[in-house]
Amino acid sequence: MTVRARIFLAFLLICLAAGALYLRSLSKRVLVEPAPHAEEAARAKLSQIALQPNNGTTQLATLYFPSLNEGKILPESRSITWAQTDSDRVRQVVLALAEGSHQGYGHLLSASTSVRAVFLASDGTAYVDLSNDILSDFEPGIQTETLIIYSLVNSITTNIPSVKRVQFLIQGQQVETLDGHADLTAAFTPDPTRVKSAP
Amino acid sequence: MSGAPILRHKSDETTPTRSLWRASGSRFLLPAALMLGLAVFFWSTPQLRSDNFIFYFPSGCHIVPIVSMGNIRYLPLMQILNMVGKVGGIQEKKNSIRIWFGNTQIELKSNDPKITYAKEPYDLPQPVRLSEGQWLVPVEFLTTILPRLTHQPVEYQEGTSRIFIGDVKPASFTARLDPIPNGARLTVQFTDKVAVRTASSNGKWIMFLGDRPMEPLEPSYRFHNPYLSELQYDDQDGVPKLVISPTSGGLNFYPMQAEGGKILLADVLKPPSLVGQAAQPAPPTPAAPATTHPPSAGPTPQAAEESPAAPLGPPLPVVTLDAGHGGADNGGHSRDGVLEKDLVSQYVARVRAALLATNKYRVVLSRAGDVSASSEQRALAANLSGAICFLSIHAGDLGPTSPRITVYSYQPSAAVLPAAATGTELPTGAPPVAPPPVDKPPIFVPWEQTQEMWLEQSAQFAQAVQQQFALLNGVEVEPPTTAPIRTLRNVNAPAVAIELGRLATDEDATALTNPVFQQQVAGAIVEALAAFQKGGVKP
Repeated sequence: MTVRARIFLAFLLICLAAGALYLRSLSKRVLVEPAPHAEEAARAKLSQIALQPNNGTTQLATLYFPSLNEGKILPESRSITWAQTDSDRVRQVVLALAEGSHQGYGHLLSASTSVRAVFLASDGTAYVDLSNDILSDFEPGIQTETLIIYSLVNSITTNIPSVKRVQFLIQGQQVETLDGHADLTAAFTPDPTRVKSAP
Repeated sequence: MSGAPILRHKSDETTPTRSLWRASGSRFLLPAALMLGLAVFFWSTPQLRSDNFIFYFPSGCHIVPIVSMGNIRYLPLMQILNMVGKVGGIQEKKNSIRIWFGNTQIELKSNDPKITYAKEPYDLPQPVRLSEGQWLVPVEFLTTILPRLTHQPVEYQEGTSRIFIGDVKPASFTARLDPIPNGARLTVQFTDKVAVRTASSNGKWIMFLGDRPMEPLEPSYRFHNPYLSELQYDDQDGVPKLVISPTSGGLNFYPMQAEGGKILLADVLKPPSLVGQAAQPAPPTPAAPATTHPPSAGPTPQAAEESPAAPLGPPLPVVTLDAGHGGADNGGHSRDGVLEKDLVSQYVARVRAALLATNKYRVVLSRAGDVSASSEQRALAANLSGAICFLSIHAGDLGPTSPRITVYSYQPSAAVLPAAATGTELPTGAPPVAPPPVDKPPIFVPWEQTQEMWLEQSAQFAQAVQQQFALLNGVEVEPPTTAPIRTLRNVNAPAVAIELGRLATDEDATALTNPVFQQQVAGAIVEALAAFQKGGVKP
């Protein structure tokens, strides 16, 4: 075998190894990583803009936080400087819920939950695309998933009157259930019976 | 033309690097690079499997999840100790643990195969592991230490996933397949009498062997036969059963028992249409069949239907039991490693046994064994069998109290009670969406709205179940409520879901794995069903 042939063979094998390494990282990225870095950064920027509006009005918003012990969602008032558009306001509500209760109520929504996109349809349906981080901080179960859903739906529809119902997407996909129990195939209207009434 | 070889020759001789390259590279480069490439491509992160280990005691069985690391099978130590006795105290350090068990002490160190029991050192073939705060011991712990802990006979066949502790006398069996006209006859010879119940699920026939523990001589029998391909013993969910796999679909299955239950004869025959119009293949009649079952016209795709050994008469009402999750979907899990899918299977097995013991019901399981089933498949199991009710069992986090139970009926995602009816003020921007009044049920119902035709009856059923649970001592029972549960959406019968708590990663599932509690829950469900039936079921 000539020297050139050996060099060529060595080069070929290195390429093969590098290719295999790349394929592996690619498969991991497709299966595990939610989205390309640039896209996530853009979404984070959108959320940041939504959270720091320049000329918005500041109002008391009502957020609903779940209480596992009582099987209800509990209202909490919070001052929010609203963004200009309703879709940004939906982001604000979800991120405020992810931040957690200031009054020590239950916190099932993961703090790392991010809103990938919000789309408002003319019939009053808000399509809210959440990152799969939403699944990271709660125990799967009928009660936990039901409370998370109505905590989001009641909070969004209460504070943004143009939204009549909420359809959830996870990582851009319509999914069958939140985590094996609650049906996410249809849009949710708010359920006032979930709210614990004042004593 | 003549210059090139001379130059190459000189270069080869005068450059030591190239000489080394020639000497070693040609030998090792190719295999090394190939190995590197293959290793990188095929190397994968270790994955935890969800096999179970079954502990059989005279009073019943317990299911413990197996944690596989590489090819080594590990079991959670604390779960084993709590099963066989009482842990008096624990002194845990970063990489070691000391446990007071009865009058003795057990000391273990992480990544060390040596265990000190009663101040005597014992060597295990594999080291003890500490994974995610859980102490794991290799399966060999069962033969090395466990007999000393229990002071009872322990029977364990190496390589299997079941152990018999105390005065448990497991039966066994052998199997044989013989050709017969237009089919094959499977003969299973048990060492003792066994009550067999027939079911079919996912294209296979299931023969439930009652609560009698089994220690099969062979875990599976493979046949090279045009009718049957495999007979497999499975007790991964704590329910001993034989799973019979036909070679092709559309075959008829005629099981029967002989010699008082010591022999199971199962004929697998081509259906008459395939054999020809000449003669109906009559089920073979053994000399003295103890129990006969109606033929199963080929395996059904999803449902596992059971035929209790009752005399022929009017068909018994069917109850569909649904154990949540299954297969790759573990559901939730507790701190001591109890998986939701296994836990709820135990409850379903107890409810099934309690219902069949009444001789008033047939039971259809939405999944048999540790298999995954879609929500549609689970609903179909009830709808195709004409079930009078559907009961789904789950476990989850219901707050700090345990045991705690909540019973749910279905809530459509877009249906809301009017504010006036609930006394609650509607939130701003959320007009009530009341379901349209229905004068009479429509002829055709959209598949996704099937359960909406049964909301009232399901709520009554949930009320009946909750009332029976409320009679149990030491259990906190919430008022029945509604939830948008996916599994219930397509069920064409009164349907409820039961959630047992607390199953959470920061707490042991001791209260929920308690066999006494499980039996109480099963009994309450049977009573609730009877009460619900007395109230009448309106279609």
